[in-house]
Amino acid sequence: MSTFNVHGISVSSGIAIGKANLVTNALMEVHYYKIKKDTIKDEIKRLSQAINTVKSDLVNIKKELQKKSSNNFESFIDIHLMMLEDNNFSLNPQQIIKKEQCNAEWAIKSQLDNLLSKFDDIDDAYIKERKLDAAQVAERIIKALLGHQKQISKTQNPSNILIAHDISPADALQFKKNSYAAFITEHGGTNSHTAILARGLNIPSIVAVKNARKIINNNDTVIVDGDNGIAIINPNKHILKEYEYKKNQWIIEKKKLKKIKNIPSKTLDKKEISLMANIEDLSDVKSVLDCKAAGIGLFRTEFLFMNRKQLPGEQEQYETYRSIAKSMKGRTVVIRTLDSGADKTTAADKTQATNPALGLRAIRLCLSQPHLFITQLRAILKASAFGKIRILIPMLSSLGELKQVKLLIKRAKESLVLEKIKFDNEILIGGMIEIPAVAINAEAFAAELDFLSIGTNDLIQYTLAIDRTDDSVSHLYNSIHPAILKLISNTIDAAKKFNKDVSVCGEMAGDPKLTKLFIGMGLTNFSMHPSSILTVKKQILESDATKLRSMSNKVLKQNDSEKIETLLNKINL
Amino acid sequence: MMIKTQIQIINKLGLHARPSSKLAELCGQYSSNIWILKDDNKISAKNMMDILMLAVPHKSKITILAEGNDEKEATNQIKKLIKSRFGEEE
Repeated sequence: MSTFNVHGISVSSGIAIGKANLVTNALMEVHYYKIKKDTIKDEIKRLSQAINTVKSDLVNIKKELQKKSSNNFESFIDIHLMMLEDNNFSLNPQQIIKKEQCNAEWAIKSQLDNLLSKFDDIDDAYIKERKLDAAQVAERIIKALLGHQKQISKTQNPSNILIAHDISPADALQFKKNSYAAFITEHGGTNSHTAILARGLNIPSIVAVKNARKIINNNDTVIVDGDNGIAIINPNKHILKEYEYKKNQWIIEKKKLKKIKNIPSKTLDKKEISLMANIEDLSDVKSVLDCKAAGIGLFRTEFLFMNRKQLPGEQEQYETYRSIAKSMKGRTVVIRTLDSGADKTTAADKTQATNPALGLRAIRLCLSQPHLFITQLRAILKASAFGKIRILIPMLSSLGELKQVKLLIKRAKESLVLEKIKFDNEILIGGMIEIPAVAINAEAFAAELDFLSIGTNDLIQYTLAIDRTDDSVSHLYNSIHPAILKLISNTIDAAKKFNKDVSVCGEMAGDPKLTKLFIGMGLTNFSMHPSSILTVKKQILESDATKLRSMSNKVLKQNDSEKIETLLNKINL
Repeated sequence: MMIKTQIQIINKLGLHARPSSKLAELCGQYSSNIWILKDDNKISAKNMMDILMLAVPHKSKITILAEGNDEKEATNQIKKLIKSRFGEEE
């Protein structure tokens, strides 16, 4: 067998070696065959049995979801159950079997094709999307008919590597039991279900590997190198040996990291560094508590608003914010107001800008729809009676906007006072530093805000004029561009001058190669994905803030990215 | 006998997945034949997928046809469900 590599997008780091386990796309496997007239009855019976199997599977999944009180998955399973009972699946395929004397699989597939073409004629985008549900239901029935193993069998070898087209939310739930060593999917991006799941499970994964299920065979030996987005199929002895060594190192590192969980986050010269976590919803809180983060440095509330037609009301928002504040037991929770627009759209985005990253998004959107903003502010303020909450405003570009924001916060507070509802009147208000204009003029904002939070992802995008979502310019995206480092350092200095907290909360905060540089710049607050916290903490424990100061200054004086890279390697030695 | 009723859909999202499920589930409890008429389409109100694929938006009017022993009760309950916005927020 010859060795070959496949490439994709790395969404979760680490190394795994195992046997390929292909999960098939049942719909593509269906073949037509004619059945005898006297077996029509049996064929219909076979179909009913398959539908019953799927029904009981879904009921079981639903029960399990209820136990875990997960997001919105439950109602989506109800819809699948209704579809199963609908004549379109329970009756029409039976008629197709009778009329065409065909096998049950073919009948379901023909019926699905009918349904899909009807869905395509519908204008309503939301209803149109339900065709995916119809396809998933049909696929489940066909799998039951073909006697496929269910998506995940519980007894399979945990060192296997899953190769699939994509992972659906229903599958994801079952994967949480940690039954695979890595995922490779043909579909998906950095924020697909697969990616989020893999990072949550902390297993290496690669997505967007085109035709993975065609080029990889069942039981092929596969090495997944999640750090580099490469999978090596049928590796030879030497490669295998090399990767086994790397994998062991990775496992040892992971174990070592767990040991530092309870050690206070301090540099060698006793400087305290606060490590906080970024979260997207309530279910992330568990991993925050697990890694002993100092608090939540960034709660991205837009995820509450996404994938739905009707925006969450004050009560729903309040309940979420309150639950998070309560479960963090007095530790800081920074709630960022709706950062909708650009790559994260919600029903609040009414217009499509020609250049969404520069359009009506985040605080601009909120100020243009004050009722939306006030609703969120009231919900946050109400929750502030139950924990240490701070408000963070995204995408500020001028002091004028900040003035408007403060006025609206004041109004929200006044309305609560009138209604005799308790809240933290001293709640701190911070701003995201992610537009170059603000980073350049950071002192003016440091004077007016209670704290600053540097959002490096957008800061890079705007400073270097690179669309983050455009693959063709992604090679120009450079987080250690001298201008970026200067803007970050300038912002940290400005905050220090006014004695305000400042943190870095973008992807750069979770990059262990940059931890020491930031400490040298005087940064004491980091906020990152919970899975990065221990890796960064390890860097902190090895750092000497005083010594790093002069090294950082050297980096900041350098104007050549390559030389910066060399200096960074020296710092990290 | 047959009861024919025209009614407006007042919940914000129209007859999307969840309301369609609820309506089909309710109609399934009656022995009467129940249909929904909209534009030139006539579909059985007992089939969630068919209701969904009618793609009935907010504020549009549909006609309900019920025929059978319990047609009166069925019509009343359908009206009630639609008027309650299927339990959605206003």
